[in-house]
Amino acid sequence: MKRRSDSGELDVTRRLIIAGAAGGLVAGGLLARLVNLQLMNQEEFEARALDNQISLVPGVPRRGLIYDRFGEPLATHRTSWNVYAAREDLANLEATLDRISDIVEISDERKRRLLENFRREYSFIPVSILSDLTYEQFTQLSVRRPELPGVTIEASQARSYPRGRDFAHVVGYVARANQSEIDAALDGLDPETDRARISRIQGVLKHPNMRVGRLGVERELDDWLGGTPGNYRYVRNAQGRTIQRLDDDENAPKPGRDVHLTIDADLQRAAIELFGDQTGAAVVMDVETGDILTLASNPTYDPNDFVNGISSADYSALREDERSPLYHKAYDGLYPPGSTFKMIVGGAALRAGLTTPNETVYCPGHYDFGNRRFHCWQRRGHGNVNLHEAIQKSCDVYFYEIARRLGPERIAEEAKAYGLGVSYELGMTGGAAGVVPNDNWKRGRFNEPWYDGETLNYGIGQGYLTVSPLQLAVMTSRLAIGDGSQVMPRMVGSGPIIPPSPVYGSLPGHNILDHLRSGMFAVTSETGGTALRAGDIGFEGIRMSGKTGTAQVRVISAAERATGVIDNADLPRRLRDHGLFVGFAPYDNPKYAVSVVVEHGGGSSSAYPIARDLMREAFVRNSGRAGSYEIAAVDRDGESI
Amino acid sequence: MANSFAQTNDDVLSRIFRLPWIMILIILGLGIFGVAVLYSATITNTQEAGLPAQHAVRLGIAFVFLFVLAMTPLGFWSAISYTLYFGALLLLVGVEFFGATGGGAQRWLDIGPIRVQPSEFMKLALLLALARFYHQQRAHGDIKFYHHLIAIVMIAAPVGLVFRQPDLGTSLMLAATGTAVMFFAGLRYWIIILGIVSVVLTAPVAYFYVLQDYQRERVLTAIDPSRDPLGAGYQIQQAEIAIGSGGYEGRGYLQGTQSQLDYIPEQHTDFIFTVIAEEFGFVGSLGLLAAWMSVFALGLIIASRSRSHFGYLAASGAVVTVAFYVFVNIGMVSGMLPVVGVPMPLISYGGTAMLTVMAAFAVICAVNLDRDRHLSVSGLF
Repeated sequence: MKRRSDSGELDVTRRLIIAGAAGGLVAGGLLARLVNLQLMNQEEFEARALDNQISLVPGVPRRGLIYDRFGEPLATHRTSWNVYAAREDLANLEATLDRISDIVEISDERKRRLLENFRREYSFIPVSILSDLTYEQFTQLSVRRPELPGVTIEASQARSYPRGRDFAHVVGYVARANQSEIDAALDGLDPETDRARISRIQGVLKHPNMRVGRLGVERELDDWLGGTPGNYRYVRNAQGRTIQRLDDDENAPKPGRDVHLTIDADLQRAAIELFGDQTGAAVVMDVETGDILTLASNPTYDPNDFVNGISSADYSALREDERSPLYHKAYDGLYPPGSTFKMIVGGAALRAGLTTPNETVYCPGHYDFGNRRFHCWQRRGHGNVNLHEAIQKSCDVYFYEIARRLGPERIAEEAKAYGLGVSYELGMTGGAAGVVPNDNWKRGRFNEPWYDGETLNYGIGQGYLTVSPLQLAVMTSRLAIGDGSQVMPRMVGSGPIIPPSPVYGSLPGHNILDHLRSGMFAVTSETGGTALRAGDIGFEGIRMSGKTGTAQVRVISAAERATGVIDNADLPRRLRDHGLFVGFAPYDNPKYAVSVVVEHGGGSSSAYPIARDLMREAFVRNSGRAGSYEIAAVDRDGESI
Repeated sequence: MANSFAQTNDDVLSRIFRLPWIMILIILGLGIFGVAVLYSATITNTQEAGLPAQHAVRLGIAFVFLFVLAMTPLGFWSAISYTLYFGALLLLVGVEFFGATGGGAQRWLDIGPIRVQPSEFMKLALLLALARFYHQQRAHGDIKFYHHLIAIVMIAAPVGLVFRQPDLGTSLMLAATGTAVMFFAGLRYWIIILGIVSVVLTAPVAYFYVLQDYQRERVLTAIDPSRDPLGAGYQIQQAEIAIGSGGYEGRGYLQGTQSQLDYIPEQHTDFIFTVIAEEFGFVGSLGLLAAWMSVFALGLIIASRSRSHFGYLAASGAVVTVAFYVFVNIGMVSGMLPVVGVPMPLISYGGTAMLTVMAAFAVICAVNLDRDRHLSVSGLF
C-alpha cells in the first residue's frame, strides 16, 4: 500500500517490515534462550534453587554425660556463648573483626590466625571468632548485633568437668578433632560413593562446637557418648537469615548416651587428698562385684583446661613436671610389687605341695645361692619362720627358698591367675599389662636364658616383675574373696558393653587362701607385723588385713652393703624406694580391697597410712552400696551392661 | 505543502477517540502487571514495602503525562526538537564538569532541588532532532550521503558524552536509536551491511581499548557467570536459576523461592523479569514478550501510516527506543548480554525510564492523531 506522503520515493513500508522482522528475530533469540532455560533445563535450575535455599548445617550431636556411681556428674555441659560468622556470607572478615573488637577485645594474634585460616575451610563451617563470652561481653555484643552482618552469637554446650582434677586421668577430656582423628573417622569411606557422609562427618568434626574424646573414658567410649553427627536443614534467604528449620528426623544428629562409672567421686577425692604432696596411685575395689570405687593418681591436672585447647606453655609445664601429672599411674603405672607379691609365691608353693603351712625355714639374715649372697631386709635375720610368720614379718629368706623350689614357670602361672600381667579393659584409654616374667619371656626379651638367681628375686617381687596399682587391687580382691573366684574389675556401671579381659589359670580355694589371709591379718594385727598401725581403720572396729611392700628403685652394691645401706631419707627423691601396701577389710568378711603405691615414698610406711585412711573413708561413706545407675539403666531402652 | 492546522474533526473529544487505544490498553495492562510483580518482588523485604504503591502512583502520573503529551500537536514536537536536543547536549556537557557521581559514574546533574539525568532526556531529544533533520532534508529534495554524515555527528556527540560518564548501556541505546532513525530515513542497505560488518570487526578493538576494566569484566561475566560466583556472576547465576526454575507454568504468584528469599540483587528494578519468569514461567515470559511485540507492531503500523516524514521517523524511532529497553533487559537478565543497567519499561521500579518510555509512547500517539497532517518544510506546523 503506497500512500502519498512526505517520504516521497522512500519505501517506508519495506523499511518498517525489515525493522519488524529484525525485532522478531531478536525476540526469537530471546525466546530460544527462555526455552533453553525454562523448558529444557528446568529440573537442573529447580534443583539449584532448592540448593540455594536449603542450607545443610552440620548438626553437632549432644554429647552424653558421665556420672559417678551415685549420679554425681563427672562430665557435664555448661552453656557457653560464642561468636560465629557465617563464612559464606562474610565478604570482609577483616572489617567485621575490627567492628567486633570495638566492642570486645580480640587479640591481634587471634585476628591474624582467623584471617589466615578464613579461606581454608569449607564455606559451610562457621568461623568461630570468640568463645566463652562473659555475660557482660554477651550483652554488649547482642545489643550491637545489627551492626554486625553475618555475625551470630550462639549458645553452645561446652564440656565441663565439675570434679576437675579428681578425674583427669579416668574421665579424660574432649578437644576439637585434629586432622588424624578426622582421617580416622573417614577411614574406609569411599570418596566417590560416600561423598554425602564424608562431608557430613567432616562438617561436624570441624564444627567449632564439636568435641571428640581425647583421653580416658571420653576417648574410649567416644562412640557411645558422642552420638551420631547429622545435618539440620534450614531454609535461608539470601542474607543467610533462617526462615525455618525443616523437621528432618532421618538426618538430624542423634544425641550421645550417658555413662555411669562405678567410681565413688567423693572417695576418689579423698584418695587424692590423702596423697597430699606425695606422688602415686591408689585403687579401691569391691571384692565381690569388682566395682572400682577409686582409681586415683597424684599429682593430677585440670581437664577443663584442655576443652578449649590448652596453651603450649601450660602443656609443656605439665609434660616436663618430674612428678608426671599427665601419667595415669593407677592404670598405666608399672612398679615392682615387692613384698606384696609374697602371698602369691607362698600360695603357689602350698598348691604345688612344695611346702606346708607348718614348715619352717631358718633365716639368718641372708641366703646363699651359688656364689651369690641374697640379703633379707632384716639384717639380723628372722630365725625359724613358717609361712604365716614369713608373710607377717615379710621375711625375704623364706621366700628365696620357696621361690627356688617353685621355679619361674610356676610363679608366673600363679601370678597370672591372680590377675597380674593382664591389661584390663575398663572403658578408658591406657591400661598397662606389666611383666610377669618366665624363661620364655626372658629369651624373647633379652635373648638369654633364665638364671636361677633371678628366681630368688622373683620370690620377693623384684626383678623383671612389674605390676600396676590396679592389678595389685585385683590380686588383693582375689585373695580377699578367698574362695578361688577370679573377680574381674569393672569401671563402667552402665554404658556400652566393655569387652571382657582375659582370665588365666585358676585359683586355689579356702584351704590354701585362708593361710595367706591369716598371714596378712598378722601383718596388721599381730605383734611383729610390718604394718601394725594399719590394722584398725578407725571405724566401728573394722580391721584391715594387708601386706606391705617396698620396691627398690636403685641397685645396692656390695660395697654399700659392706659400709651400711644408705637410709632412704638420705637419698635424693628419685632414688628412694617406692612404698606399697595392699589390703582388704573387714579381715573376716572382706568387702573392699585397696592398693596404694607411693612413688619414692622411701618404704611401705608411706603407703599404709593412706590405705588405712582410704579404707576407713570407704566404710564411712559406704561406697560400695548400690549405685544409682541400675535405675538409670532401665530408663535407657533396657540398655544394660 | 500548506499548513493544514485547521482541519475539521479535530476537537479534543475526537482526538481522544482517535488515540491508539489498543496500544494504550496493552501499556496500561503491562503497568498494572508491573505493580503486581513489584509487590511480589518486595513483599519479603520490609524496607521495600512502599515501592509497589509508589510505582502505582508514578504509573498514574505517567499516564496523565502520556495523555497530555499525546494530545500535543505533532508540529509542536517537531518545533521543540532542536531545542530539546541542544538543551540535553548542554546538560550532558554540564554533567561532564559538574555532575554528581553515583555508582562510580557521573550521570546526574543537580539543578537546585531537582536531580536530572540528561542522558535519559537525550534519548527522546536525539530521536526527535534526527526526525526533524531528515524531515527537513527530505522536503528540500533527496537525501544525500553527506546528510547522513551530519546525522552521525548529531548521534556521536551525545553518545560520546554519555560513554564518558561512563554509561555503556545508555550510550549504546542512543547509538542504536540514532542508527535506527538513519535506517528508517533511507540509509542505503549496503551501507548498513557495511556498518554491521565493521562493528563486528571493530568490536574486539573496542573491547580491549575503549571499554574500562569493569565493563570488560561484565562482558566476561555475561559469557561465563561462574567466573565470579560471589561477585558480578552471582547476580547472573541467581537470575538464571530463577528463570530456569520457573519452568513452563511457573511456581505461582508469590511462590518463587528465588524471588521471595531475595536471592537476586536488584530484583525490583533491572532484574524484575526474573520474578516474572520464576513465578509465571515460560507462559508468563512469553505473554510478556507477546504483549511488547504487539505494542511494537502497532507502533510500526502507526509509523507507516504517518503522512509526514517527521511523524514516520519519530514513531518508528520511538518504537525502537522502547524495544531496545525490552530486548536488552531480557537479554541481560537471561545471561545473553552483559549487565548494563537497562530496566524493563513499565515494570521495573524507577521513575526516569518510565518517563522516557511514556514520552516515547506519547510521540507515537501524537503521530497517530496527526497521521494525515503534512508538516511544513521546516517541520514547524
